[in-house]
Amino acid sequence: MDAFKVLEIKKSVYEGNDKRAGALRSGLKKDGVFLLNLMSSPGSGKTTTVMRTIEALRGDMRIGVLEADIDSDVDARTVAESGTRVIQLHSGGMCHLTADMTRQGLEGLGTEGLDLVILENIGNLICTAEVDVGAAKSAMILSVPEGDDKPLKYPMMFERVDVLLINKIDAISFFNFDMEAVRERVTAMNPGIKIIPISAKTGEGVAEWADWIRSAVRDWKRA
Amino acid sequence: MVPPSIVSTGEVGSLHELSVVIEVVRTVEEFARENGVTRIDKLVLQIGELSSMIPQYIEDCFPCAVDGTSMVDTKLEIEILPGNGRCRSCGAMFNLVANKGICPECGVKDAEVISGKEFMIKEIVAC
Ligand SMILES: Nc1nc2c(ncn2[C@@H]2O[C@H](COP(=O)(O)OP(=O)(O)O)[C@@H](O)[C@H]2O)c(=O)[nH]1
Ligand SMILES: [Mg+2]
Ligand SMILES: [Zn+2]
Repeated sequence: MDAFKVLEIKKSVYEGNDKRAGALRSGLKKDGVFLLNLMSSPGSGKTTTVMRTIEALRGDMRIGVLEADIDSDVDARTVAESGTRVIQLHSGGMCHLTADMTRQGLEGLGTEGLDLVILENIGNLICTAEVDVGAAKSAMILSVPEGDDKPLKYPMMFERVDVLLINKIDAISFFNFDMEAVRERVTAMNPGIKIIPISAKTGEGVAEWADWIRSAVRDWKRA
Repeated sequence: MVPPSIVSTGEVGSLHELSVVIEVVRTVEEFARENGVTRIDKLVLQIGELSSMIPQYIEDCFPCAVDGTSMVDTKLEIEILPGNGRCRSCGAMFNLVANKGICPECGVKDAEVISGKEFMIKEIVAC
């Protein structure tokens, strides 16, 4: 029998992905492409918000979309109808994207000439938050019907994102949704977070969101 | 884009583990190559009690993750690392899981996590 030999690795499992995410981030920085990671539960309004965002920013920047939300290309088609460059990632039922999958998606999309790429991440509030995809900034959507206690149930996502969009505020009167309580809960977990109530349906609040993106891109280009 | 080849177990909770374990296998194979190891008898992982990873799921999906790799015959061992915290009020150290986050010394529920969120590839046993 061969002699057994123990080889110590002592490496965090996330290290490989984190390294690839870092490399992707600096590559995008060099190319001047701002990658925005948009996350939420299924049905919170990611696709609708992406459409609104394109509408609001189309005059200022060239936008591409990485669509990873579902395994059909319905969402990609919706976005493509707006004349935006879009690619559907087939995530094969995975619950989160890795930096590698994002890089492959960006290569498929072709980022030349783009200022902003929005990644509509897989509809999942749990593990998408944990995995660095190499984005410059990340945003999540909490929609009013999901309830104001969601930050208590899924703290990780709220702790890590740069922006929280509270969507479907047009429907707020039908739900017991305490906006102030959400602000308090979320700010306690993540003091630097920007919270913007919007309705992707009526367009309310979208201008503020578009302004946030404009200034985030501007600051990022300067840094 | 080429879809990642994964085997769905039909259980949403374990898909996350599966994709992470695929990543682990990849890292370990890379390490083995760099170190001239051709056969890995055992892989030892360390998972913190406070990690979002569920050890049982990891064990369940390990065979799928190593399928078709050089690690098909590799055994998996998982060590659990304790989720310890320090009380912000009195400074006592205690196990957060066993005490449900409440300091056994002073009863305050405000502890800083010291350990337990790790998910590490500890070592391999090569032969
Ligand atoms: N009332 C209302 N419905 C919305 C709003 N935004 C999205 N929806 C609806 O919510 C559903 C899911 O939206 P979608 O954008 O596909 O969510 P995704 O799964 O996160 O991409 C669709 O029926 C949308 O029309 C909103 O602001 N208000
Ligand atoms: Mg969608
Ligand atoms: Zn105490």
